[in-house]
Amino acid sequence: MTDCKGGEGCCRGRKSYAVRWAAVYNEKKGFGGKEGIYLKEIAIYGKGGIGKSTLCANLSAALALRGARVLQIGCDPKHDSTRLLMHGQRINTVLDYIRTTGAADYRLQDVLFTGYRGIGCIEAGGPEPGVGCAGRGIITAFELLERFGVKERYDLVLYDVLGDVVCGGFAVPIRREYADTIFLVTSGEYMSLYAANNILRGIKNYDEDRCRVAGILYNSRNVRNEDNRVAAFAKAVGLPIFAKIPRDDVFAAAERQGCTAMELLEGQGGVADVFNDVAARIEGGLQLYPACPLTDEDLESLVFYGETRSAEPVRQAVKQPAKPVETQDARGGVLSKNVLRDEPLHGCAFNGAMNTGIHLTDAAIIAHGPKSCAYLSYQSISSSGRRRLFERGSLLPVPILPNITATDMDESDMVFGGMEKLMETVQRAQQDGPRAVIVISTCPAGIIGDDIDRVRQLSTPECPVVTVKTDGNLTGDYLQGMLTAYLQLAEQIVDPTVPRQPDTVNVVFEKVVATNTQQNFELMAGLLREMGIRVNCRFLCNTTYDALKNFCSAGLNLLAYKDYTGVILEKFFEEKYGCCFYKEQFPTGFGETCRWLRGVGDFFHRREAAEDIIRRYSAEYQRRIAAVRPALQGKKLMIITYNHQLDWILEVAKAVGLEIVKLGVLDFSQDEGFRSALPWASSLPVEENYDNENRNRDIAAYAPDILLTNYQSAEDGVHCLLDTIPMCPDNGFFSGLLMVERWKRLCMGQERGEWENDRQLFNKYYPR
Amino acid sequence: MTDSYLTSITPDSISGLLFGFEGIERTVVVLNGPTGCKFYHSSVSDDQGLRQQEFDPLHYPLLWYFGQPRVPCTYLDQRDYIYGSRAKLEELLDFLQKNLEFDLLAVVNSPGAALIGDNLEQIVRRKMGDKPVVIVESPGYSQTIWQGYEQACRALIRNFAEPTERRRTAGKKRVNLLGLSLFHKYYRGDLQELQRLLGLCGIEVNCALCCRCTLEEIRRLPETDLNVVLYPEYGLDAAKLLEEAFGMPYVSPGVPVGFSATESWIKTLCDHLGCDAEPALEVSRRGRADAYIHISRLNSLTGLPKGVEFAVHGTCAQCLAYAQFLIRYFGMSAECISLLDDPEENREDYRELCALLKQYDMASALEKDILHTEASIVLADANILAKLKLRHHRFGGIEISLPSFGYVDVIPKTHMGVAGSLLLCEQILNGLLF
Repeated sequence: MTDCKGGEGCCRGRKSYAVRWAAVYNEKKGFGGKEGIYLKEIAIYGKGGIGKSTLCANLSAALALRGARVLQIGCDPKHDSTRLLMHGQRINTVLDYIRTTGAADYRLQDVLFTGYRGIGCIEAGGPEPGVGCAGRGIITAFELLERFGVKERYDLVLYDVLGDVVCGGFAVPIRREYADTIFLVTSGEYMSLYAANNILRGIKNYDEDRCRVAGILYNSRNVRNEDNRVAAFAKAVGLPIFAKIPRDDVFAAAERQGCTAMELLEGQGGVADVFNDVAARIEGGLQLYPACPLTDEDLESLVFYGETRSAEPVRQAVKQPAKPVETQDARGGVLSKNVLRDEPLHGCAFNGAMNTGIHLTDAAIIAHGPKSCAYLSYQSISSSGRRRLFERGSLLPVPILPNITATDMDESDMVFGGMEKLMETVQRAQQDGPRAVIVISTCPAGIIGDDIDRVRQLSTPECPVVTVKTDGNLTGDYLQGMLTAYLQLAEQIVDPTVPRQPDTVNVVFEKVVATNTQQNFELMAGLLREMGIRVNCRFLCNTTYDALKNFCSAGLNLLAYKDYTGVILEKFFEEKYGCCFYKEQFPTGFGETCRWLRGVGDFFHRREAAEDIIRRYSAEYQRRIAAVRPALQGKKLMIITYNHQLDWILEVAKAVGLEIVKLGVLDFSQDEGFRSALPWASSLPVEENYDNENRNRDIAAYAPDILLTNYQSAEDGVHCLLDTIPMCPDNGFFSGLLMVERWKRLCMGQERGEWENDRQLFNKYYPR
Repeated sequence: MTDSYLTSITPDSISGLLFGFEGIERTVVVLNGPTGCKFYHSSVSDDQGLRQQEFDPLHYPLLWYFGQPRVPCTYLDQRDYIYGSRAKLEELLDFLQKNLEFDLLAVVNSPGAALIGDNLEQIVRRKMGDKPVVIVESPGYSQTIWQGYEQACRALIRNFAEPTERRRTAGKKRVNLLGLSLFHKYYRGDLQELQRLLGLCGIEVNCALCCRCTLEEIRRLPETDLNVVLYPEYGLDAAKLLEEAFGMPYVSPGVPVGFSATESWIKTLCDHLGCDAEPALEVSRRGRADAYIHISRLNSLTGLPKGVEFAVHGTCAQCLAYAQFLIRYFGMSAECISLLDDPEENREDYRELCALLKQYDMASALEKDILHTEASIVLADANILAKLKLRHHRFGGIEISLPSFGYVDVIPKTHMGVAGSLLLCEQILNGLLF
């Protein structure tokens, strides 16, 4: 009905669009195909403190005196919009009501009150200044009012909305499904005009070419040159001054008596006539205009110099050039690869921190956020525990029984802030006697500004409170969350003054979600034990608060993975605590394992013990390699992989005589830069940043006998032996050997499998 | 310290919404939110209804899909929370329009995205023109999963169900099934079994809402003789809405778990529709005979399953259905009944459950914590079963809900109907062979 199609007719102030109020029947299809009465909904926007609520209440009164059934909804957290209509009574706000009442008990009469001349009065309400999210509050309140169907009882709704359109929440009343008419309230003061202009910007964002603005309600403050300023502004934005409401003592007199000026004057004379005129013109039909805001510069020129200078500039996104690789941000925080490269975030920091924090098994972890965040994280933690139990009968305590709880933030917490609930949850957790409480925050908590670091004040000597402020993905991806948790937990817990213990190591950065982590640890701890070396802390994998506190007691630190994260942790512990790290990660494959044992043996003066172990495995390794070679010698191997370190496969491939024709390295959010310690690595046909198109091209070009990938493809046209590379391979002497033995079996005597021919049948019976 | 909490870390309404929409064929469900909210939903949706042939990330673009086949997302980050999600959402919609064929687009805000108040309605409608879309801007915070699912059903009915002169065909009677979802562990088998039994009685399933249905079936929801509610916490709201909007009658005859419940369920529907229940009842009698011989053999050797204590952890409707079958058919004893939902939300089933337990002097089962159960048979999700195993409690575990341990069901299974009664019988008997 009020749609404006743009073009000439939409130019500022030249043409407009007439509408008529008074229960116009609309032909749009209602729910269930019923026709419905089209309701007039007017939003009145203006800077806070400009007298908007007083004006709005008087306008409601004037409209009611003309016989309209009026509903006034106050959309300002200070909730005094309807006070004068309610004879000074402050009414229960919708948001206070939601906060204290269960959803099953919601009743319209608890939030809808009847004021002067039967005017319906509702206050949305909102949080105290500085806490929660007032914009979210408006969204929440409107959703409940929609559910009640409150507007159906009225001819006309007036939304009295807080000054500036600062976020999407405060813009709700000007969305299309709400207000069809908008008035701007302003005086001639700069900040008031600034707010009015900002409101026009908000409207323009929603409307584009549509006409919804009826004009300016000029609420005079009697400041110098005010009339000229407002007139110049109105002209510049192409809007009429719909009415001027003079400054008049009658407003103050009415307020003292807790009523509107309309009521005090009994609807006659003085300012009452101004409101009566506005009401009559609304009733008679309105001309509506598009929103054409000024730039800030033009507004300033207009207010201070009486003229505008330029059109509003068009904002364009500028692509930032790639940054050099650094692992630290300007504030000294460590950054994940995703964050550093400004790439799409894989997973969220909250979940990364949760998956890390639970490995302090005697601490209680509190997820500060809604239930969904705790649940999604709990599922990612527990899935490896369930699968290990199902597939291998292994009972892993950490993923099966993580010690987590959550604050279960609800709608009310989003509006009013969740810190009170968090404090209570921490105190409740402490009563159960964990060694520490760790608090980790989600996006909703971060967006509304909850500062979880405040709960550290609840620390006691028996139960310290540690915080990991991830704010969901506001701080980054899953890996960023892991890094933040590693560093925050270390900084808040590690005691650098503990004495060194002889023949003791820490194991750093085991991948806790990999299914072979425990098996690898047991293998490596067994080899260390054979050399007389014990493990103090597994950072952070199935360990305790006190083991982490005593981290500095170990003489040497062993990285399980020396990838991007491993290197960051190594650097952190070296720089912060002067810790000593062995140069290589946990070994995979024969060559690496021999080298690693000798190196660690040398550090602890146990070289002979290391050589004994190597001798035991060496003979068997050589015998089995010789047995595989005849079957694989001369065959072509192509590899497409997320693994950035593959020496354990490359060395056995060469040992059995395979020709490596291509090594495509895929981009991986948790690692960067292909690495090899093999002396002949420079001759490898490596291609980094590999993609799907290259794959098809290379398969055709090289015709490999064996295609090795992390995930197998069922694509047609690939006629070679396909096998997969584990993302987290087993450690030890035989990792690579087991792979080539498997290829030998597949090459020698295995059928391709009839099932592979049934692809067409799947497509026939289950078309997508 | 968190024992009791761990049993209630449940999915919330965002999952109900996403799984609800994912239950519609040829639908793209877009999550306007970060990848952290996407991965789980994409994974479960894919596991529960394999539609893609391989798990090769190169087939699913890094942007939007992030290597997973389902639930593309706008990967919102800190900047989008400040400046709005419009640009990314528009880009994704362009990508979908260009590259995919689909009947319906559903767009759901993540909990974080809902805080910033973007006008999804305007953004999506403008891009998609007249194509069918359904948009949810507020997914709720810490509400139950079934509240989200109800919200999805409401949106679908309001947007697409078409008022019609209800077609009365001379042939088969037609019903809609309400309250089954992708998140129900055995939904494929449930649907198959109920269709089989109804088919024997000459009743056709018109639409199983949000459970492998099509948009066309949703449009034709009103062309049906009766709406049948399975899990009331999921389906009752839709049944009431359809009654209010289209004057459609509905029944909520409980969850058909066990022979008696199945027979009663079939009879209720046939009575309403004037159909002959006898063919399905005969199948049930045959099923009872098959079960009898196995139970009888165990009973003659050990006296079991009579008197064996069981525990069940689920919604009120689930607990009632399983408890009735185990107590009345097997003569077993409820040691722990652990409810996931607030009894106030499903007063009728809760009242019936209390009456059942009181009748057999088992009311104390409602007081017991599932993680402290000593029952010989435990029916729960795999998380609960794993925790009990970790405590070295010896019992037979039967999975009744997600998450699962990971057993791959090539043959669709069910705990509903006659086939379901027999599977449960099999699982209980094997669980008692210790």
